[in-house]
Amino acid sequence: MQASRARLFKEYKEVQREKTADPDIQLVCDDSNIFKWNALVKGPSETPYEGGIFQLAFSVPEQYPLQPPQVRFLTKIFHPNVHFKTGEICLDILKNAWSPAWTLQSVCRAIIALMAHPEPDSPLNCDSGNLLRSGDIRGFQSMARMYTKLAAMPKKS
Amino acid sequence: MVTDSTTNASIPMAASNSKDFAKKKRVNRSAKLKQCKLDARREQWLSQVKNKGGFGDSSGHPPCSESQSSMENLEVKPRGEKEGGSIYHHYSDSDSASNSPTSHTSSVLGSSNVSGTIFTGSGGSSSSSGGSCSGSVTGEDEDDDGCLDDWEAVADALAVTNKKQEQDKHSFDNQSVVPSVSLPELKPEERVEGNVQKGPPNCRAWKPDDAFRPQTLPNLSKQLSFPMKSGRQYGCAWGCKNVVSVPTTCPICCEDLDYTDSRFLPCSCGFRLCLFCHKRILEDDGRCPGCRKQYDYEPIKGEATIDGGSLTFKLGRSCSMITRS
Repeated sequence: MQASRARLFKEYKEVQREKTADPDIQLVCDDSNIFKWNALVKGPSETPYEGGIFQLAFSVPEQYPLQPPQVRFLTKIFHPNVHFKTGEICLDILKNAWSPAWTLQSVCRAIIALMAHPEPDSPLNCDSGNLLRSGDIRGFQSMARMYTKLAAMPKKS
Repeated sequence: MVTDSTTNASIPMAASNSKDFAKKKRVNRSAKLKQCKLDARREQWLSQVKNKGGFGDSSGHPPCSESQSSMENLEVKPRGEKEGGSIYHHYSDSDSASNSPTSHTSSVLGSSNVSGTIFTGSGGSSSSSGGSCSGSVTGEDEDDDGCLDDWEAVADALAVTNKKQEQDKHSFDNQSVVPSVSLPELKPEERVEGNVQKGPPNCRAWKPDDAFRPQTLPNLSKQLSFPMKSGRQYGCAWGCKNVVSVPTTCPICCEDLDYTDSRFLPCSCGFRLCLFCHKRILEDDGRCPGCRKQYDYEPIKGEATIDGGSLTFKLGRSCSMITRS
């Protein structure tokens, strides 16, 4: 409990200090609760998510960093490893491959990497996974790009 | 830049919100506010991106684990051939004072006992500490029984009588190049403990960083090299003590690493952490945070091997460290 607080506080300071270090990630801690974080990540370039900005919600357990944080997408995203409705993410480092040496910042980086390299063999979004597994790359990309435009890009007004 | 403008943007929003829903939605307000803030920030960021017209490269990489490459830093510097002459010269100078080789061996052994008990916390009898140290110090112990290899120790004693002479010498010995950097990398405890045993500190010839240490003194290549060979676990912790890359805080809990923690190296990958976190991880899944490999020993297993009487040092020590912590 105390350890997780200290650790999160250090990460908070780190984030404040390196705000400009990683231009693709913005980590924001909840004002009143250090166990709740939000992150904005940019869709990686040369993917259908390019140009979009995706919001992630972190819920950090008290056993952190021995237990991984729970992360989900708040922005809709069409990705084989992200549940389309709940935003749940299927990523090994958020489950059994977690290491206490990881930080919230590095989790964001891993999620960006996952966006660039989907794993269609363990899909949470079956439609997306099936498109990729059947080799319909174009179909997948256009779907993903459409949802990026709809949900993660500024509205034209 | 973003924060400033977003707070500016969100303040009027907050004001209007509070005017409108002051009494009804007091509970929801803060949550809404946060979302507003985030949205504003996001919009701003988006527009910024749009203006810029593109993204920077965003290759996300999982973090490189914070394993230090401290092992690589530990280089054994071979003794230069050319120093041989000056070394012999030095010792022939001070031959007359070499009356204490045996006392020196004992002090060396004694000091290694002391450093052993620091880790084991067991009995303090020479046999047990010898057992616990055996992994890393065996070579040294065996050899020290017969012949005297610890040139540092000898030189220390000799210099008590020779100090003035040395200081004079120092002035014209400067050009000979024994890397004095490697001095602190010798086993620091041993030097410190030796100091205690010999009595008052001014009996001590040189501190590790002493400017008056004669540069012709040979470095104990043996002591330098044994951490590489056998005592990988704790040997390296000794060796790397002064290497800059040792973190000052535990990467897991962010508490400061104390004296014991900072020489605790539980995994061969070089990932350091404090004893508390190590214990918690052992209770949890027992994998090293740096390399995700299973820590290659467990407390129960350690006791078993102590009973068996073979290869005790790794397990016995870590075990006792855990119980002490």
